Amino acid sequence: MPKKINKATETLKIGYVLFVLFFAFIPLFIMIVVSFKTNTQYQTNPFFFDHPSTWQWGNWSKAWDIVSGYIWNSIFVSVLSTLTTISMVLLSAYALARYRFPGRNIIYYGIIASMFLPGTAATLVTVFDLLRRLNLINSLWALVLMGTNGGQIAGVFLIKQFIEDIPGSLFEAAQMDGAGHLHQIRHIVLPMSIPVISICMIMDFLGTWNSVILPLIVLRDPELLTIPVGLMYLEGEYVKQYGEMMAGYAISSVPLIIMFIFTMKTFVKGLAAGAVKG
Amino acid sequence: MTDSETPPKPPLGKQRMARFWHKAKQVQMLYLLVLPTTLVIAVLGYYPKIDVVFKSMYRWNPPDVEEYVGLQNFVDIFSDNLFWQSFQLVFILLIANLFKMWPGIFAAVALHRIANEKLRYRFQVCFVIPMVIPGMVWLLIWKSFYDPTYGVLNRFMNATGLMRFFHFLDGSPGNVETYGLMPRIARYLGHVDPETGESFGIIHNFVAPVFGDTWGLVLLGAFFLTLAIHGSNRHKRHIAGGLIAAAAALPLILILVQKVVVGPGVIGAALLAFIVLMFFLARTLGPKWVLWMFYIFGGLIVFRENYLYLFLLPVAAILISEGIRHGMEHFAAEGVIKTIGTLVMVFGFLLIGFGQTWTEPTGQFAYGAPAWLGNQDLVIPAILFWGFPWVGTMGVLIYLAGLQQIPQDVYEAAEIDGIGPMGMLFKIELPLILTQVRINLIFMTIGTLVSYEMFLILLGPSGGPGNRGMVPGLYMFSKAFMDGQFGYASALGMVLFFLILGLTVIYQKYVKVDK
Repeated sequence: MPKKINKATETLKIGYVLFVLFFAFIPLFIMIVVSFKTNTQYQTNPFFFDHPSTWQWGNWSKAWDIVSGYIWNSIFVSVLSTLTTISMVLLSAYALARYRFPGRNIIYYGIIASMFLPGTAATLVTVFDLLRRLNLINSLWALVLMGTNGGQIAGVFLIKQFIEDIPGSLFEAAQMDGAGHLHQIRHIVLPMSIPVISICMIMDFLGTWNSVILPLIVLRDPELLTIPVGLMYLEGEYVKQYGEMMAGYAISSVPLIIMFIFTMKTFVKGLAAGAVKG
Repeated sequence: MTDSETPPKPPLGKQRMARFWHKAKQVQMLYLLVLPTTLVIAVLGYYPKIDVVFKSMYRWNPPDVEEYVGLQNFVDIFSDNLFWQSFQLVFILLIANLFKMWPGIFAAVALHRIANEKLRYRFQVCFVIPMVIPGMVWLLIWKSFYDPTYGVLNRFMNATGLMRFFHFLDGSPGNVETYGLMPRIARYLGHVDPETGESFGIIHNFVAPVFGDTWGLVLLGAFFLTLAIHGSNRHKRHIAGGLIAAAAALPLILILVQKVVVGPGVIGAALLAFIVLMFFLARTLGPKWVLWMFYIFGGLIVFRENYLYLFLLPVAAILISEGIRHGMEHFAAEGVIKTIGTLVMVFGFLLIGFGQTWTEPTGQFAYGAPAWLGNQDLVIPAILFWGFPWVGTMGVLIYLAGLQQIPQDVYEAAEIDGIGPMGMLFKIELPLILTQVRINLIFMTIGTLVSYEMFLILLGPSGGPGNRGMVPGLYMFSKAFMDGQFGYASALGMVLFFLILGLTVIYQKYVKVDK
């Protein structure tokens, strides 16, 4: 960084960043503003709050009635699929990183290679057909299952590398003491690879949480919808109540915000990893 | 730990088997550990991917209809106008992405250069916050912005007078006298009289007869740009040129052959020939061959009316560039070919931009309530404007991470050399975050090609009015889940797969070039 501070260019830089941030935040601001309005109020004044006495708190309670079900469904799917993914990944990454056994390379490269094959974008049709034959249409378990599939590949890749870096003497000492595989995973791998595990977990969680197309084709009952699909249907209603819709959007953003507050650093890393994974 | 004494008596094969089973017993616990992952990947990952290859050859509407049709689905795709149209949109989006990435890079650089550290940190936190909001919420809020009567966008335009300006550019439809500025320019550049069928302007009287189409100019420019980087080995260049010409002639030959023999076998043979040609091209050119695959693919779209141009233009480009190389020293020739390519391409884009996009007034701006997502002429502009100022906060953070790795002394050295702030941007910061820019660009490209959530949500499964917002992924989705043509959708998926594979090859090549 140049040491001399040029006032004019400094203002220019700050101005540009503020300009960008302004547009990043204006949708959120308008979301909050409109969530307190009736449609008529929205039409007369979309840009700013009205007098607090005219605020429509009812929008929020109505939105909560609609959206809360979606939130629970999303939490169910995301938590369950993240937990199963990570436990399966831990087992296999441990075996693949620590031991050489016949077929190990085939299995490992088989897992990694599927990273380069197209995802559900190109195989949506056959995935749907498979789920239909497994009798999982209109069931949240289909999403849990497919979420498990999505997270495995990157998870195995990352965690295997991490386990390989753990000093082998630790495992050997544990083996001397008669510790089995599961024991070693629980007491050596798990505590030592918390950082990479949490990144993987957040990546998986966000992936399932934000997935749209799969829930859209799999779920039929309105009470089974996850947040993205639920909001999509809410928006598609014939008579749009913008106030309720915006309140619903705001409410459904809350779970991730809470998660973000507690795991800020890991969260950003997980997001970055997920974004690069595509 | 696995070596154990084995009696030397049994024959070698049996001995090996015995050793294998012995080992397997020792490691059966390990197999148990990898079983869940393997099972999930095999059943949910690999099975659908293999299945899609087979199902692409069926007329298939589960659970009732399932009938083998061979390559018919691919033949149908070949002549499916909507499918080609969807790639036109992808192309527009890709070009737009090249422009849209700059605000993000500038934002990262500006953020990186802010001297006040406290302020910089606060801004950085601010950039993280929008990422926490689910993508669906962003999409739906922006969708509400586009609403004709309630939407913030129209109200803003009305309040600031932008709406009147757009009306000035646009005018009213029906009568040529009431056309706005842009349709008038387009008329001047080229139009066809609907009654006499006479055509006017440079586009119809010069560009179309010579280059096939205005898009042909763009393609020709791309040919030149690629030929410029073909390298200094003359022998290799000539072989590559021949292969390219042969591949470009294939559609013509196919049409001629089909006048005599018709059948999926002919198309299969043509595909095979194409693959063989591309294989040898890849061996001569290295990873650059992929570009030619995309050009020929693009040429199939552009020159649908007359495949002769698909053959003539590359051949002309190759001949011209070889001629230039013949008379000049290597680097000078490369520069000249690049300049020609850029000029031709820019000229093509200008003609398309001013002559073929805004040809008729939409008439939407006159009453101050344009239906951005409901009018077929406004759908694509609305999508391109979507997300203004196109700064993905994620991208900014990735760039920023790259910028922060630049050591302090590089800046100091540059300062001593007297490089100003703009020079720093282009001589230091951009080259050093090129890896990040490339990665971002590649993922953006693949994302543009395969993802369609945004279009589904903004415009519905049919891609909005006049199918203008149809992208390939969305087309696959709507073929399967709206029309019930699952086999056809699988074939579309296969085509997409090969395109992504091609892009991944490019990606592999360019990401490895790491500094």
